[in-house]
Amino acid sequence: MEELAIALTFGVLQGSVYSLVALGIVLVYRVSGVFNFAQAEFGTTGLFGAYIAVVLWEWPFYLGLLFGLVVAIVMGLLTERLVIHPLRNQSKVTLLVGTAGVALTVIGIQFWQFNDPLIRQLPKISDAVYVTPFGAPIMAQQLITLAVLIVAAAALAVFLKSPAGLAMQAAQQEPVACELVGVSVRRVSMMTWGIAALLGGLAGVLSGAYTIFTAGFLTFGVGKALLPGFIAAVLAGMKSMPGAVAGGLVVGIVEQFGGLKMFGDVPGASALLLLVFLVVVLLLRPQGLLVRKATA
Amino acid sequence: MSVLEISRLSIHFGGVKALQNVSLRAGEWEIVGIIGPNGAGKTTLFNCITGFYAPTKGKVRYRDRNITRMRVHERTALGIGRTFQNVGLVKNTTVLENLLTAQHLQIGYDPVAGIMGSPASFEEERRLTERAHQILGLMDLEEIAKVRVADLPYGMQKRAEIAAVLATDPDLMLLDEPGSGMGPEEAHELGDTLLKLREEFGLTIVLIDHHVPLVTRVSDYMYCLNFGEVLAEGTPDVVRAHPEVARAYLGEEPAEPDDDTRVQEAV
Amino acid sequence: MTKELPAVLLEEEDEQFRVSPGGWLGRGVVWALLAWLVLAVPSNFLSPFEIGVTDINGFSHAAIFAIVGLSLNVLIGYTGQISFGHQAFVGLGAFVSAYVVTDLGWEFWLAVPIAAGFGAIQAGVLGLISLRLTGLYFAVVTLAYGMFAQESLFGIAAITGGEAGKAAPRPIGFESGYAYYYLCLAFVVLVLWLDWRLMKTKSGRAMQALRENPRVASSYGINVKAFTLLAFAVSGVFAGIAGSLLAHADEVIVPVEFNFQLALLFVLMTVVGGLRNRAGVVLGSVFFAFLGSGKLVEWFGLVGFVEGVIGLPKEFVALVIGPILLLLTLTAFPGGIGQQIAPVKMWLLGHRFDMHAGEVNEVEVTDVRA
Repeated sequence: MEELAIALTFGVLQGSVYSLVALGIVLVYRVSGVFNFAQAEFGTTGLFGAYIAVVLWEWPFYLGLLFGLVVAIVMGLLTERLVIHPLRNQSKVTLLVGTAGVALTVIGIQFWQFNDPLIRQLPKISDAVYVTPFGAPIMAQQLITLAVLIVAAAALAVFLKSPAGLAMQAAQQEPVACELVGVSVRRVSMMTWGIAALLGGLAGVLSGAYTIFTAGFLTFGVGKALLPGFIAAVLAGMKSMPGAVAGGLVVGIVEQFGGLKMFGDVPGASALLLLVFLVVVLLLRPQGLLVRKATA
Repeated sequence: MSVLEISRLSIHFGGVKALQNVSLRAGEWEIVGIIGPNGAGKTTLFNCITGFYAPTKGKVRYRDRNITRMRVHERTALGIGRTFQNVGLVKNTTVLENLLTAQHLQIGYDPVAGIMGSPASFEEERRLTERAHQILGLMDLEEIAKVRVADLPYGMQKRAEIAAVLATDPDLMLLDEPGSGMGPEEAHELGDTLLKLREEFGLTIVLIDHHVPLVTRVSDYMYCLNFGEVLAEGTPDVVRAHPEVARAYLGEEPAEPDDDTRVQEAV
Repeated sequence: MTKELPAVLLEEEDEQFRVSPGGWLGRGVVWALLAWLVLAVPSNFLSPFEIGVTDINGFSHAAIFAIVGLSLNVLIGYTGQISFGHQAFVGLGAFVSAYVVTDLGWEFWLAVPIAAGFGAIQAGVLGLISLRLTGLYFAVVTLAYGMFAQESLFGIAAITGGEAGKAAPRPIGFESGYAYYYLCLAFVVLVLWLDWRLMKTKSGRAMQALRENPRVASSYGINVKAFTLLAFAVSGVFAGIAGSLLAHADEVIVPVEFNFQLALLFVLMTVVGGLRNRAGVVLGSVFFAFLGSGKLVEWFGLVGFVEGVIGLPKEFVALVIGPILLLLTLTAFPGGIGQQIAPVKMWLLGHRFDMHAGEVNEVEVTDVRA
């Protein structure tokens, strides 16, 4: 029982990183119709940016974090300009390969610039550790991540209801009509990728503090959040923002279940659980699990 | 025995009643014409006959066999061939390759034997190519055999599509606006071709077209659809003289496109 | 019920262009050079280069990568389904083959078809899932499958030997790296033959039709589901063969080799090579195999420049250059390497040299599968 409580707690905390990634994936899909495989790499890029500023350049800590977020946003905008925009009339599969290419490019650059085997770690925002009644130690950093997720999701919800946010969503459905009434589809697209990159960047700078990180940290490294983020987005039917938040938490919990004693003998039980979970969801509820019918 | 018999067919999309209680039959060697304004449900009817749509109610029978729930490729195997309103060809390949692909069901060798490169598959491929050339010759398309479909003018694509359907070896051929984009003279020529094909292949043809003179000339029997219902039926003279038909054509045409690009995947 | 049609004569293509004797000589010389490069150089026959025992393994790897590229080309190129889990396809083949030879003590010649069979089965299962999904969702499933295979499937110590890996001895007569290279080459030829016959017969035409327009395909009488599954199975067979060869080339395999990075490299080399272009895919795969092992940098004497001046270890060159080539391919050269070499290829096959040969300008296809 205690084991389960610990798994649930850790699941939610780890899941908040996935939720941040999933929010970005859903946002991009809603506005551009692209499955963005570079989403997690926005995070790693932001993380490296913050690391450079805070550790190498010895900037003030929060200014460094901010710098990391800016770097992530710049990468998002560059992605839109250099890859998404030129490929906008291509098939969706081509676009998907394009975003995978973006991810690989920055991973390559990270390998190139940061190959020397340094112990790379970003300081935490707070080093405090709390002990829960059932014995699981929780880092303050994890609670901060959860709080950031809640704030980011709320801000995004407010933004999407604002005139700019509504224009953004309309641009996907009626690009021509939007141009006619003065909404620049181009600017909307830039804005979307910028916001998505910011969400990814948040996930990056927050999760990089738990452990030593390397190139491709959030895509396939220790802190991999790309696949969980995608599964969360699928749970949200690729369109519901609250669904993406909830989905990330659910995926985090499912993943933690892989660590339970009952799976002790199964190697990589978490990966197995995630695959089974994803396939079952896609086959039984391809429209998503955590969406209300009305969001269609 | 009728080749095609549709009884009281209805199909609803959400609240839209695309077809309502449509009954239609086509006998052996007959050419049946269907006319009607845009959005009358003509293409939807074809999609029900070929299996892209599952009708809400009613039956489709082919040679006394209920095929209402059969899958698309199984109906092709029975001998139902169709053309599409916006040219149903694989556009990035040549006309000849399309005709080879269309002979899929007549290929004697096993797929795996083909991949292994069995001698029989080489022999069979030669035979298929020969037959494709025969059909192209019959349709006067020999000189465009090696041209990519996408590079052909629209009218040629329409003719090539008929050739491809012939290659599937059909008994019943459903033609969706074969005369679109053609002038009166070409349309007349198309009429001759259809009559000739019926003779040579023993085909039953159901024809949708807006060229009313073309349809009345070649058809043995005609239907006029409007708003998903049969407005009038009978011999071409009867249908043409029907007062409602004239009104449907002259009155306000509903703007709803009857386009098969909107068809959801139902394969 | 085929109707009798008037017979027609299949006329030969009127070939106005005749290759002059000098032209044939030129082509012959280039062909001979290519054959020399592929057949003679690796075993130091009539060659000024010195290909050592470790280098020859790089050649074997290049041949194996070519098979992987052809396998992925069947999926991405012919059916339009993207796979980010192909390293798992190859890995399963590798472990099955190693298990069959080392644990069961069976012959290598039995292990290859068994590995191919397992490849077909796993690809078939994924194919069944893909039938229910559109291409984008399927990409996520392959990603999950790859992660699962890497962490879970290949972690079963009883079969894969766990982290220490599993021994996979080479077959009798092919113990030397040089002999093994020719064995890999023979399998490349086999796979090329199968792929060529696939595309020239009903299955390939069916796949092309269903990728471009499933509605037309089904109205041609093609069972769309069955032929999608066949494509997966063929891709799985190729991947299984590649996996088996890879295992015995390295003689010991470890699970950690088959990570997500490898999957991305596979997609990269196939797309850069040029989808639906056999020669391009093979060249792209070979290029990335040599680039990835750092051999290419060595041969061109660039080690000093790359590692010293730019500060990039030679093994990482592929990771930096590769994605940039991929993005260039997607945005500027959609035909990939295959399109760039098409003029030379046509010339070698006895046609006129035409700079515009093989230009791909595919018409916009409605994106049905995505």
